[in-house]
Amino acid sequence: MNAAIRVEARKLARSRVGMIGSLSLVAGTLAMLGGITAATASGNPDLIAKAGPAAALDWSGLLSSTAQVTAAGGLLGSGVVLTWMFGREFADGTITGLFALPVSRARIALAKLTAYAAWVLAVNLILTLGLLILGILLGYGIPTADAWAGLGRQCVLGVLSGAIATPVAWVATLTRSLLAGVGCAIGLVLVTQVAVLAGAGGWMPLAAPALWAMSNGTAVTDLQLALALGAALTFAALTCVSWARLQLNR
Amino acid sequence: MTLTFENVSLRFPGGAGVHELSFEVTSGEIVALVGLNGAGKTTLMRLTLGMLRPHRGIVRLFGHPLRGLPPARWAEVGALIEVPLAYPELTVRENLRIACLLRGSDPSCVQEAVSRWRLAPVADRRFHRLSLGNRQRTGLAVALQHRPRLIVLDEPGNALDPASVIVLRDHLTEQARDGAAILVSSHHLDEVARIADRILLMNAGQLIGELDPAGRDLERVFFERIRVNDEQRATEGEPTP
Repeated sequence: MNAAIRVEARKLARSRVGMIGSLSLVAGTLAMLGGITAATASGNPDLIAKAGPAAALDWSGLLSSTAQVTAAGGLLGSGVVLTWMFGREFADGTITGLFALPVSRARIALAKLTAYAAWVLAVNLILTLGLLILGILLGYGIPTADAWAGLGRQCVLGVLSGAIATPVAWVATLTRSLLAGVGCAIGLVLVTQVAVLAGAGGWMPLAAPALWAMSNGTAVTDLQLALALGAALTFAALTCVSWARLQLNR
Repeated sequence: MTLTFENVSLRFPGGAGVHELSFEVTSGEIVALVGLNGAGKTTLMRLTLGMLRPHRGIVRLFGHPLRGLPPARWAEVGALIEVPLAYPELTVRENLRIACLLRGSDPSCVQEAVSRWRLAPVADRRFHRLSLGNRQRTGLAVALQHRPRLIVLDEPGNALDPASVIVLRDHLTEQARDGAAILVSSHHLDEVARIADRILLMNAGQLIGELDPAGRDLERVFFERIRVNDEQRATEGEPTP
């Protein structure tokens, strides 16, 4: 199992998808936040009205903007990397080489998910550190206790956004298609946005992490957050089962 | 017996597939599988490696039905079916290393494989930058570096230059001498006749007999056997694939 995790981690670390995905989620998010802050500081009334709580030029505004960006961008970016990790084996044809090995395919799928989880955690830790530096550079000072808690919630939101992307791994496996997985990632983002607008609330596992982070932890219960994690684990398990039963009959 | 097929059948939704396949490959034996495109050679090999599960019959590896094969025994198998276990973003050496890791084999086999397959000049080049021939040599090195007891190769001579064909031939002969059971498919009848102990002839999803590797005019005999089988099946009302 350790061997499979090392192999999957190396594949991800050496890939362009992994590199571009990491850059997009970290540098892309920070650049977007810089842009939002600059636009807010310029005093554009339309933008300030649209941004709502994110328009405040302090830690609270910065964290609110970040949560909004991560809720959509984090889910999509993580989903694209995850679908690549699974779908590329079918697209590149390397799936044939993953049979007839002493490491079962279920364990290979689990190794992929483990490497992905480590990547999501690393990217979000770096993003949170970047956010801290950005806030200080913007002159918001050393974070207060509330701001530290917000930074922690942001990191958890990033990780949970990566977790709720797990259905794409299952879809890429069932369809043997990388693009179908990407389509699923886009679909997850759309469903999440529509669910939030429709007021589905914390009982919608896809929306719960973002609502939790944006409400400073007040709008979503621990049980609702646990459900989001449970849904992620369910799709991870389904993916492993599908890999165990895989046949190359199409 | 290293590999055994007992009345194995598999039918795909479109109607194609393989029917009542029975044969054995024993330790130290090189068995070649020949047939026209679409005859079912790759399907047979996929059944051997668990990529497909038969609807009827049993495939046995090392005496175990495939489903009951202890996972560790897969480390004794080396295969190249269509696409090698090699990733474009990794170098040749890295690809050899990950195959080694996944099989739990001795890491020293990587350097040995690089030397044997003359991959040193491209060992640190990423796989996606290799020529087709070098990709095939890398794939063969990945499949064979751990000195497996069962070797399954689908058209291993594809894209190889004459020098690499000799390396492949020598390697397979040496492995068989050391006790490996080898199943190899090929379109090059002359080539398989040089190394094979037996040649299985496949047509329309069925094994229709054997060709004598020492026989004369192998190509003519091959086509004649296919023609006779096609006519026979047409008479019996079986569809031609």
